[in-house]
Amino acid sequence: MSEPLDLSLREQAAAIAAGELDTSELLEAALARIEERNPAINAVVETFPERSREMLAAAPAGPLHGVPIVIKDEWPLPWRAQRFGAADMLAKTAPGESGPYRALRDAGAVIVGVGNMHELGGGSTGNVSVYGPARNPWNPERCPGGSSSGPAAAVAARLVAGAVGADGVGSIRYPATYCGLTGLKPTLGRSAMKGHHMAGVSTTIVSGPLCADAGDARLLGSALYGEELRAGEASGLRIGVIEDEVSEDVAPEVREACEAAIEQLREATGGEVRKIELPELPAATLATVLIANSESLGGITPERLNNLDPELSPLARGLLKYRLMLPAAATVKAHQVRTMARRRLAEVFDDVDLIAWPTVPAVAPPLEAPLVELPSGTLTADAANVRGGALANLTGIPAISVPVGSSEGLPIGLQLQAAWGRDELLLDAAEALEGANGRRWVEAEPPLTAERTEA
Amino acid sequence: MEASGRADQFIPAALAAFGVEADEIELAVMGAAHEMFWPPILELLALDTSAVASEHDHDLSQAPPRR
Repeated sequence: MSEPLDLSLREQAAAIAAGELDTSELLEAALARIEERNPAINAVVETFPERSREMLAAAPAGPLHGVPIVIKDEWPLPWRAQRFGAADMLAKTAPGESGPYRALRDAGAVIVGVGNMHELGGGSTGNVSVYGPARNPWNPERCPGGSSSGPAAAVAARLVAGAVGADGVGSIRYPATYCGLTGLKPTLGRSAMKGHHMAGVSTTIVSGPLCADAGDARLLGSALYGEELRAGEASGLRIGVIEDEVSEDVAPEVREACEAAIEQLREATGGEVRKIELPELPAATLATVLIANSESLGGITPERLNNLDPELSPLARGLLKYRLMLPAAATVKAHQVRTMARRRLAEVFDDVDLIAWPTVPAVAPPLEAPLVELPSGTLTADAANVRGGALANLTGIPAISVPVGSSEGLPIGLQLQAAWGRDELLLDAAEALEGANGRRWVEAEPPLTAERTEA
Repeated sequence: MEASGRADQFIPAALAAFGVEADEIELAVMGAAHEMFWPPILELLALDTSAVASEHDHDLSQAPPRR
């Protein structure tokens, strides 16, 4: 057997179930690999070997029995409150059994560490965090994506084969793309959310899996959903594409890779590509930002803003204070845009099964200056990325990012979106695409892991 | 009156109204955010949504009901 940590999530689970892989050895190997590789990428911000060993000792014979998993610093654990990547998260937190913790525990998984994240979940790059920036295993000088930066970097560096992230405005899909992974943003409400400090308040955030490929995302996703995400056949797919900045104001190499992948998917499934129109898309992007920001205003008072922890980044302090100034009238209109966008999507999904566009318009930017060069000019990565990521969060639909190419040695991702509740179709389509490209991109190894393997 | 998004007027006035203090760096961050968000916010505010019928008891995990 090859190095157990280099096996896929489902191979690890199957080998354990078959008695071919010792769970204690796997856990110790994961802890050792974190110690070895993590300093270069800062993906895992805390391990707790004794807690992990206790979790393993009590693990039931579930579908993830004995498999090590990293969980984002957005969820409380019984022994640790989340910090949300920040020195001051403006919410009361305490250790506890979050929904994802219970889902993992009940599936037999072992939480081996907590994943870094962009401070307060407020960025798509992962370069700002109370723990210091996470780094991209494909190039440590590049952003790993955010806000689920650590979970993505941990899987890409093969510290673990699966990680749990959260996606409020693209926060699973952006890092999945930057790190060359498959990241699933579930339909709102389908995945475990209990215990999140925004549970019951947020209408955009979901938990979801980050894995190397769709098969692993299906396995880990099934635990988070609390139901089996059954595999089906993706055939005759009607793939909707849009002539809009989200697919056109894109770096040429990203556009080329995504267009080629869409054609591969069409051909592999015997489907067709149809042009669609979403005139609400630009307004929907702003609406998502307004709604997500207003929903997190609960803990923000003028007094609290005057007493922020000085360790909070200046960027976060400024943006938190700016939130107070967002006009209520704009937020009301944002909700009306949400209604319009949902109705438009319902009509669109009468005609197509999937909507496809690049997850983000350019490959991972430098950590020191997260800017991207697009046909329209230079933009911050956040401003550019939100265009493609926001719609699914605003409307509740599921979305997935799948690796489809590479440029400058950095991964490129295609986003597929489907109608409410059709999460399984996204996984089926992702698997069809993997088959169509010979699994070239899901099996690609970043230099960090390739160098170590060769050594 | 012409709509003004000038950060050097709007932000200090808003901070004073809320009784919130800010240092130079925070003011710069807010200025940059204002420059990015305010134009589309004005566009959104100019959108007439009076004809948008509410989605009563909306459930974001489901498609909206057919009208």
